[in-house]
Amino acid sequence: MPDARIRSSGTRTAPIVPERSVAGRTLVLLIAIMTFLSAVTLGGVVLVQKSAIAWSSDVGREVTIQIRPMPGEVMDSNLRTAVALAEATPGVATARALSLQESQDLLKPWLGDGLDLSSIQIPRLVVVQLGDPTDADIPKLVRDLQSVKGATLDTHAAWREQLNAMSGTIVFSGLLVLALIVVATVLAIVFATRGTMASNREIVDVLHFIGASNSFIAGEFQGRFLLIGFRGGIVGGLAAIIFFFLIGITTGNMLSGGASAQIGVLFGRFALGFDGILGLAAVIPVIAAVTAITSRLTVRRFLSQTS
Amino acid sequence: MIEFTDVGLRYGQGPEILKDLNFHIEPGSFHFLTGPSGSGKTSLLKLLLLSLKPTRGRVKMFGKDVTDLNQDSLLQMRRHIGIVFQEFRLLDHLTTFENVALPLRVLGQPESAYRDNVVELLEWVGLGERMGAHPALLSGGEKQRAAIARAVIGRPDILLADEPTGNVDPELSLRLVTLFAELNRLGTTIILATHELPLLDSFSFPRILLRDGELVFHA
Repeated sequence: MPDARIRSSGTRTAPIVPERSVAGRTLVLLIAIMTFLSAVTLGGVVLVQKSAIAWSSDVGREVTIQIRPMPGEVMDSNLRTAVALAEATPGVATARALSLQESQDLLKPWLGDGLDLSSIQIPRLVVVQLGDPTDADIPKLVRDLQSVKGATLDTHAAWREQLNAMSGTIVFSGLLVLALIVVATVLAIVFATRGTMASNREIVDVLHFIGASNSFIAGEFQGRFLLIGFRGGIVGGLAAIIFFFLIGITTGNMLSGGASAQIGVLFGRFALGFDGILGLAAVIPVIAAVTAITSRLTVRRFLSQTS
Repeated sequence: MIEFTDVGLRYGQGPEILKDLNFHIEPGSFHFLTGPSGSGKTSLLKLLLLSLKPTRGRVKMFGKDVTDLNQDSLLQMRRHIGIVFQEFRLLDHLTTFENVALPLRVLGQPESAYRDNVVELLEWVGLGERMGAHPALLSGGEKQRAAIARAVIGRPDILLADEPTGNVDPELSLRLVTLFAELNRLGTTIILATHELPLLDSFSFPRILLRDGELVFHA
């Protein structure tokens, strides 16, 4: 009984479905690519969503009072009145009138450096920071500002709506792409599973003849596909995390400080954060589960057709 | 144990492969199933193995009409039936031990529960020293003995054999049928399909003779 002795000393029983018979490497590579695409898409969606929320939140915390020069009106007096009215409004944290120099500086990008603005009267701004945007009594401030000639209040609502619409469209498109990638992954796994089942038909027939149930046979194949799904998922998921890490470093190093800051303002910094990385890592078990469930359903269908 | 009443079988819209089969097989008996090639022996064995259902007539096994059984019940019944093929159908990546133990493994039994039984059976069929070998390294006779051991390890009530001596020499054929006879002596009902007349004449077991899908002799 030499083999019995070997077994009792710990030799592993060979799997019923041989490892080489399952289209392993190709499927691992395919799932790795699909996982990478899913993770990159998901990461992009997370970045856009995070940036949009942060941007919208920043813009929403600030309203601007603009006071146009009016004949017979003293600008400095109107500015003081506007600041006082703003500070008296519930929910307002601070209100500050921009100096003449600051107001002129704001026009430089459009009018250029060489123009002398001291000879013309320009509109002046009061920057109002809200303590809590939801509690701020903006309608009261609008009513109060009617006493200041030439004053208007800009809540940036149009900008925020535009921003939300744009980010929502990008997020929706990203999720649509993600869904298509998952569908493509499922289809690829279905074809790979069918091929594997066809090439292992002899094993399936023998297992049927010796009394194996369909669920047992499906379980033998499912275990293989779950392993393949995990391998592919880990490779693709890690590649995506490294991709975002490298992109973050690259944008930080290749662009000048100013350009990097502007990109940061517009698109957010290419940093997913801990929760983002957790989200990407969650793609791995999801892809493995999709692989296992898809292959199991395909195997069960194959078995019900052949048995 | 097995009762066929007016059984007919056809594949799809093709002609009837088996026609009006009527016979009864007692438990513990040994029957040769014989007839020329194309007479329907393998189709009849598929009916007996429950991998096909008759297109007409009634097949009763173990007291139940198999045409009324669902998949689960058929599976349970199939576990009482062993099968040996001419081409052995051992799994090449498994050792002889693992091939023979397969029917117990698919039932979920741990190796510790069946190891001694498998070793004992392999020694009984003369493969005690070959249990670690893969099928590619076994001779035709060894492969067939391993296939027989796999078919009987689950202690089936019925053992079907489809030309089990087709790939071995006449001397080994006699030894293999003797092995089947020994299993029959221990209580297993045996139906052995063969068209080798010298083999049939060497044993006095009753025969089921098929010709063109019809039963022409049963005695």
